[in-house]
Amino acid sequence: MNETQEMSLILDGVTKRYGKFLAVDNLSLRIPTGSIYGFLGPNGAGKTTTIRMVMSIIYPDQGRISVLGHPRAEEIKDRLGYLPEEKGLYKKMRAGEIITYFGRLKGMTRSDAKRRSKELLDRYGLPEWHSARCEALSKGMGQKVQILASLVHNPELVILDEPFSGLDPVNVEVMRDLILDLKREGKTVIFSTHVMEQAEQICDFIFLINKGKKVLDGPLSEVRKSGGEAIQLDYDGDGACLKELKGVSRINDAGKTAEIFLEDGTDPQDILRALIDKISIRRFDLSEPSLHEIFVRAVGGKTHE
Amino acid sequence: MNKKTVLIAAREFNENLRTKTFWLGIFVFPVILLLSFIVPSWLDDQKDIRHFAVLDQSGWLAKDVESRSAFPDIERIFKEVAERQKAGKADPEWPPILKGLAPSLAEMDEKTRNKYAQSIVQFESIKDAIPEVLAQIPEAKRLEFDQRMKELRAWWGKLSAGEARNELGSFSLAKQNYELVNFETEGISVEEHRKILEEKLKAGAIFAYFEINGDPVTGSGSFVYNSRNVTDSSLKNWFERHANAAVRARRFQANNIDQSLVEKIQAPLVFAKKTIDKDGKQEDVDQQKTAHSFIPAAFVYLLWITIFMMAQMLLTNTIEEKSNRTIEVLLSSVAPFELMAGKIAGIAATGLTMIISWIIFFFLIVKFALPAMDMKAPFDITPLLTDPTFLGSFVVYFILGYLLYAALIAGIGSVCNSLKEAQNLMMPVSVFLMLPLFAMMPVVQSPNGGLAKILSYIPPLTPFIMMNRAAGPPTTFEYVVTTILLLASIVITFYGAAKIFRIGILMTGKPPKIGEILRWLRAPVGAMPDVESEDRQS
Repeated sequence: MNETQEMSLILDGVTKRYGKFLAVDNLSLRIPTGSIYGFLGPNGAGKTTTIRMVMSIIYPDQGRISVLGHPRAEEIKDRLGYLPEEKGLYKKMRAGEIITYFGRLKGMTRSDAKRRSKELLDRYGLPEWHSARCEALSKGMGQKVQILASLVHNPELVILDEPFSGLDPVNVEVMRDLILDLKREGKTVIFSTHVMEQAEQICDFIFLINKGKKVLDGPLSEVRKSGGEAIQLDYDGDGACLKELKGVSRINDAGKTAEIFLEDGTDPQDILRALIDKISIRRFDLSEPSLHEIFVRAVGGKTHE
Repeated sequence: MNKKTVLIAAREFNENLRTKTFWLGIFVFPVILLLSFIVPSWLDDQKDIRHFAVLDQSGWLAKDVESRSAFPDIERIFKEVAERQKAGKADPEWPPILKGLAPSLAEMDEKTRNKYAQSIVQFESIKDAIPEVLAQIPEAKRLEFDQRMKELRAWWGKLSAGEARNELGSFSLAKQNYELVNFETEGISVEEHRKILEEKLKAGAIFAYFEINGDPVTGSGSFVYNSRNVTDSSLKNWFERHANAAVRARRFQANNIDQSLVEKIQAPLVFAKKTIDKDGKQEDVDQQKTAHSFIPAAFVYLLWITIFMMAQMLLTNTIEEKSNRTIEVLLSSVAPFELMAGKIAGIAATGLTMIISWIIFFFLIVKFALPAMDMKAPFDITPLLTDPTFLGSFVVYFILGYLLYAALIAGIGSVCNSLKEAQNLMMPVSVFLMLPLFAMMPVVQSPNGGLAKILSYIPPLTPFIMMNRAAGPPTTFEYVVTTILLLASIVITFYGAAKIFRIGILMTGKPPKIGEILRWLRAPVGAMPDVESEDRQS
């Protein structure tokens, strides 16, 4: 089996140093074609450095990268879509113009790029902004325009660095739909985030990095299963009683929802019984732990957020 | 240039076209140019007429000055009238006497015309006129000429400074600026006369008065110029010049020396200025030729200003690009070198558009606007059009010089986050760039001298110095060698700048130290050396 044909991106022992600072340490990854792959990690973990190396914006000190079967992204720039962490637009250009411009930089003809830019703006709820200057756009709107600009040339592999940052819930939804659309079209999407809920909702695969080292990597379901079982609780009332529960190893109490991890041998039914008179339970659900819990456990609870 | 570079350049150009600064730059220049022609002449017109009086105890000096000063004025009027008549631009506002004279003046050569002017001032009748003038006029026409001379003299005698200004406009005559005022002095003593003049001066009725206390011919006694304005001595100089000529003439007379003999003796020896052209042929050096050797200096200024202006644009632009945060997206589509080259080309297109529009405006103004306003440019532009060395070298050296400095500046701009940081790094470059300006005069005076030759071989100075030497001109050998050196340094600078640009453009935080930049230059292409200030957020 020729693996490279199924894998859109392969990293093999990639290491990057900035002076004495080890940004990415001996990282290996395989990202299958057609999947949504979430790069998770606290700020400063090495997500952006990894992505920049994939895009050939910076080069690894050691290791090998294969993007769509090529050792360097430079050779196939026109098949990649990239939304960097540093996002900006030319203020004086119009939204439609800027999308067209980036399309042309990716090798599209003027008419193709124009047509596609209009199509994308119409499809993702910005038709009336086609000829608005970028300086007049709100932050969320600007970000949408940038994402569309990175997709205008129909790339096979799309890399989005923090696509959700700074967006309101409505736009988060639009962005999520957009990523799912890409998957439906058979494209590979990599995106980075430090907000676990977003990853949980759409990722096929999760890659968790901390201090430059890979912590977890695999299909979302497997990653979650690796965390054991947990009780997901939605409740109303005074949560103080949660702390008195016995046979519990850890509780993440968020006030209205809580995640309860049991010690070995504890019966979930006992927990339910202990709680039922004290608080009003809206949901009691025995399942895999949340990504948040896995994340916190994996980085030893010492994230820099 | 590849397609992506062209795209980037085109976007850069388009964006610049949308800025106010660009259009301001295009239109401010012709306005300034036009004003620089109009304002001085307008200010000149606005200068008050200088009224003056003379306390003349000699009894003849003031009169002599007046009649002598008429000669250059009339000569000038004839010249202007003749030229305009020939050009078909006779002014309907001219007084009738000039209108009548104009056709015959237009037919005379310059020498005859001047003699004619002299006759009118000096002699009562055509019969006394200078023989050469007389010979020009057929017997039948002499009476008519005689009549004209009388009319002209009568007109001139009555013409006041104000009328001269109104009727003759831009002839710049002494008559238009200085006017003798006579006060009623019949039967009063010198002391009383002086008192009156003092009062008038205090009251501002006159600008100045002259006192002739003694005999000018022997030079005994005192001669005084009184004025409240001690800075503007043009009136004093003008009066002195003509008084001296008058006094000298009287001295000759007193010593029985024939005036025409004196003129013969004093006739100056004039050396005709000639030079040898490229083919070894002798040619005359006229004014045009002299202007010729200064044109390069003007071009050096233009070259210097434009290269600097565009370098500044590129610097601002690169830094703005960094703060726009569009660099990374761009780098995912184009190579850093393509981006840098595109920017450099885009700014070049912007700058060239501006310069070309300036050159067009310049020609339009000098060729059409000024003549339409009855003004002349203070220089002749024909050599610019006839000698391709100037415009040709300008274009070539502009492009080469720009490329060299642009690469340098793209490199510098890429490592800076603010204009202030950039200006610090630019300092050594700016100081070095003062050199061609300092060297300008020595190089103009000896375009093929040792200094000029040595400086030509220093690539960053080559464009300026070689442009400066264009009137020399340098040998073909020099052109070839200096151009090769320049091209080589452009390539090297681009290579180095691309390396710095590649790393610097992604950097945020403190600009790197020179040592660090040198390390980047030594690193192989594509490697990312240790960048201490790289932001570590991931």
